[in-house]
Amino acid sequence: MTTPTWDEPGGPMPSEDFRAATSAIMTNIEQVIEGKGATVRLALAVLLAEGHLLIEDVPGVGKTKLAKALARSIDCSVRRIQFTPDLLPSDVTGVSVYNQEQRDFEFKPGAVFANLVVGDEINRASPKTQSALLECMEERQVTVDGTTYELQAPFMVIATQNPIEMEGTYPLPEAQRDRFTARIAMGYPDPRAELAMLSGHGAHDPLSDLRAVADAAMVRRLIATVRDVHAADAVQQYAIALVTATREAPEIRLGASPRSTLQLLRTAKAVAALEGRDYVLPDDLQALAVPVLAHRIIPTADAQLNRRTTDAIVAEIVHRLPLPHDRNRSPYDTRNGGGAPTNQYEPRGR
Amino acid sequence: MSGRRRLGLVAAGATLLAAAPISSIFDSYTWLMQCLLTVGLIAGAAVGARTLRFPAWAQALSMIVVLLLTLTWLFPSGEEFLIPTPSTFGHFADLFTQAGQDTRSYGVPVPDRDGLLFVTVLGIGSVAIAVDLLTVVARKPALAGLPMLAIYSVPVAVYVDSVPVLPFIVGAIGFLWLLVSDNIDRVRRFGRRFTGDGRDVDVWEPSPLAAAGRRLGVIGVVAAVLLPLLVPTISGGLLSQLTQSGSGVGVGPGNGTGGRINLFASLSGQLSQADEVDLVRLKTDESTPYYLRFGVADQLTTNGFGSTNPSGENIAQGLPDPRTSTAGGAFAEHRAEVQISDKLAQGMLPVYQNTIGLDGLENGWFFDDNQQVVYSNRRSTKDVAFSFDYVRARYTPQMLRQAERLNPDDPIVKRNTSHPDDPTVSALVTRLTAGKQSDYDKVRALYDHFSTKNGFTYRLSTQPIANSSEIASFLQTKVGYCQQYAAALAWMARDAGIPARVAFGFTRGEKDGDSYVITNRNAHAWTEIYLKGFGWIPFDATPAANVAGAARSDYAPDVDLPEPTSTASEGAAAVPDADPSAAAGGVERPDRPDFSDQSTAGSADSGTGVLSGTAFLIIGLIALLLVLLLVPALRRVLLRRHRHAVTAPKAPKVRSLDGPGDIVVTAETVKARADAHAAWDELMDTMVDFRIPIDPSETPRVTAQRLITDAVLLEEPATAATLLGTAEEKARYARKPLEGGELTVALTRVRKGLARSANRRTRLAAVLMPPSVLMRWRLGLAEASARLVTVSGRLRDVLAKASPRRLLPHRGR
Repeated sequence: MTTPTWDEPGGPMPSEDFRAATSAIMTNIEQVIEGKGATVRLALAVLLAEGHLLIEDVPGVGKTKLAKALARSIDCSVRRIQFTPDLLPSDVTGVSVYNQEQRDFEFKPGAVFANLVVGDEINRASPKTQSALLECMEERQVTVDGTTYELQAPFMVIATQNPIEMEGTYPLPEAQRDRFTARIAMGYPDPRAELAMLSGHGAHDPLSDLRAVADAAMVRRLIATVRDVHAADAVQQYAIALVTATREAPEIRLGASPRSTLQLLRTAKAVAALEGRDYVLPDDLQALAVPVLAHRIIPTADAQLNRRTTDAIVAEIVHRLPLPHDRNRSPYDTRNGGGAPTNQYEPRGR
Repeated sequence: MSGRRRLGLVAAGATLLAAAPISSIFDSYTWLMQCLLTVGLIAGAAVGARTLRFPAWAQALSMIVVLLLTLTWLFPSGEEFLIPTPSTFGHFADLFTQAGQDTRSYGVPVPDRDGLLFVTVLGIGSVAIAVDLLTVVARKPALAGLPMLAIYSVPVAVYVDSVPVLPFIVGAIGFLWLLVSDNIDRVRRFGRRFTGDGRDVDVWEPSPLAAAGRRLGVIGVVAAVLLPLLVPTISGGLLSQLTQSGSGVGVGPGNGTGGRINLFASLSGQLSQADEVDLVRLKTDESTPYYLRFGVADQLTTNGFGSTNPSGENIAQGLPDPRTSTAGGAFAEHRAEVQISDKLAQGMLPVYQNTIGLDGLENGWFFDDNQQVVYSNRRSTKDVAFSFDYVRARYTPQMLRQAERLNPDDPIVKRNTSHPDDPTVSALVTRLTAGKQSDYDKVRALYDHFSTKNGFTYRLSTQPIANSSEIASFLQTKVGYCQQYAAALAWMARDAGIPARVAFGFTRGEKDGDSYVITNRNAHAWTEIYLKGFGWIPFDATPAANVAGAARSDYAPDVDLPEPTSTASEGAAAVPDADPSAAAGGVERPDRPDFSDQSTAGSADSGTGVLSGTAFLIIGLIALLLVLLLVPALRRVLLRRHRHAVTAPKAPKVRSLDGPGDIVVTAETVKARADAHAAWDELMDTMVDFRIPIDPSETPRVTAQRLITDAVLLEEPATAATLLGTAEEKARYARKPLEGGELTVALTRVRKGLARSANRRTRLAAVLMPPSVLMRWRLGLAEASARLVTVSGRLRDVLAKASPRRLLPHRGR
């Protein structure tokens, strides 16, 4: 394992190169997934934010295809795990096998030893197996038989799951869900895209034509560029305020974790960079709040009885929460008495 | 009887009690009988309507109908039988007019004049209806106090100095009765009264639960009584000037027969009427007649001049002939025919001085030999036509100079020289009459004093005189009209020991064919001086140029005439002849104030102080109000200019090039940030001004986009709004703010765009009453009050710790 670690991601790129590289990846994916620009962009943003993606939707909308297209667009190691009820943790992480020739135990790396790991139908595996992913997702390492193996960088888990069919599934535990940076839904394609798909897929599988447009080194540089995006204090305050609001909302039993704050801001940076900005806007946070936060929170029983989805609850929090502002400057915030701290770079005492 | 019906009767009773103040207005109690009848019938109608369970509007209607029927019955025009016809309403209108005239003519107490009675009954009836509706239908008896108070305002308006208190107490008792009845009715409807300790309480027993209310009531009454004592009063100032009419009479010993006209009030009323009405048409065989006179004011007290009641014998007894009783003068006998119009209705007959015989009058007219007036307590001059013989005396200064001095004990002297002590007047009289021997010369000296040369200015808009000090002050301010001139000269003559009084009447009027037409503009007052052997001699000190139809005699020539003053050309019409001289036919309605202003352009305007002071005060108050109204707009404009102004940026406190996140902090970026923030704040305020909601959860980018869609901004303004949004966004969140953006131009464009899409009301409000400023103030106020509450709460906690009650055992019980 001599690949570069996450802490040495490579130097940042000029914005033109960044834009060219990212748009090449997105265009590439969109050859396969048509009419889903926003979803593709979000998936890429999660990759650049060094996070993991959970794609949750009904069967047949292209979850696995998106995961595979993303993996194929980047020339790096890709492993696919089909989660089944009888899958074992060692299938995921790897196992030490006795080598008769060398008379020693030899470590056979599992499926996670790749840059991109596509976990299909993740909720079909038992919690025991699901838990195998905990360490590698957060700490990007695998510990087997007392030996810790570093994973490659970039490392990203793209998992899919079907929220409708509950028979024979094991819902992801909180800890596992919290490790996914964002949960996105594919949604049905619009009729035009579906028509194009019919005519296209009839001839051949577009996935097989997909060429890689980036490699792992480039992705590392892209990630370095994203890390360099500026998040003003006001934006950081707003991120904290958003996450805090989920913890204090009466409809929520369990709010979002501090890890989610970090991931929210990282993803926002990635989105900002994808939009060609070198600074994060509250708009980015607002747009990302639902995909990043909604899958981590647990609504109260009342809210569940009222059929309030976590998406709706988070959206309402976003809508209600005022931006951090200078109380001396703007008198128009009467909704939420508490004055949030202000950007320290704003002039004071006017 | 149900509570509502009983309450209706109480309302009627309370109304009658509240009508008590009217008793101080009327001389007799006819009004009370009529009001009793009216209010009783109205109450009956109300009870009936309620018994038949009429709806509220029908109850009101039935009461109004009963009031109308009662009025028709009490004041019939003679052509209907109880059911009002159009002629009835015409009659009512006449009564209204008559009441208006009567209020101008009569001082209180007034006799039973039909017009006044009609207005009284109508007023009390209306109040009765209002009180009934407010009490029984609306169940708001406290509001019923307002119409009841309106009745009391009548004597308040009439009696300036001392308002009778007793009627007010009676009225107040009525009001309290109403309140108590209503509350008792409420309690009875509720059921039992209880005190909280499980015991029933009788209706009249004070409930312990109401103790707080009683305490509040006591505090309220004490505050209401004490506070006005602390506030500086305005009596003698604005109030008394506003409610002037009718003071100065009404005092004095004679409150007997018939109504006494307040001649001063009547005079100013006539002169200040907006329209000119013909009052008298007169035909005489004399070529240059003097003034018609009908009344005199011969009492001078601290309250000013007042009239004594005339008393005398029926004119059927014959009138005295001056030729037999006085010594000198050239007499000529003349005859005049008079037709008085329906606009002049008074109990005093306008005739020439020295009338010796009257024809064509009905019985009931009397002649007062002392005042030389023809009067009646029953008859009115309305539509009267008569003719009379009179003697015109002509005097020369030489003749009058022969008049002997009067014996100081002569009753005429005693009666007509009393006057208030005023050292300034006495000093002036002493100075003017120094060295004069005969009474006539003294009077002439005083008379000549009232000249334009001496600074006297005619101004009709002067307030009527209310008391003696105002006459004295006229000698200082030197601005006034015939009242002031006549009264001042009479006082000065009295001060010099010569009997004098003020006569009222009409100047000659305008010639129309072979007769004279006398209008209300000819109403006039002048001075009469008593000279021994000659009787009462008229002296008119008012500038002839300013009085339509003024006349002068050669014993009292126009003092302004020889002087080449600005009035000379007008005064030239009043050339004195050997005979009583003709006054200016050519002078056009000089009584108008604007004219008098022109004619006295050169004179001192020291006397305008009182009037213009009030005017200035009012103008000042209005200006202040306007300024106050404009304060929000001004504040908004200043704020905008402040934001638009390019202010030099202060040097940043920390000049770091390697701060967190590589923020570049230089003077330029600080300024660019400040500019963007100022522009954004201004945009927010502008949006508030144009009633576009502000959402604090929106980012600048979204706000700008929403502004564009909400306000339908097109092209330029839309670009400008986007620019402002971007500038603020970068200033807040980016490493480097947007520099070099035309933010001020953008703001102006957005504002124009908003104004274009807003409606007129919003636009106007945005300029005059900017909601942004008002909202800031409101929020500031709310914040301040919240702070106050917090501080006071903390203070209370501190004090509570120090309270000794804390130490008492079982304080919580």
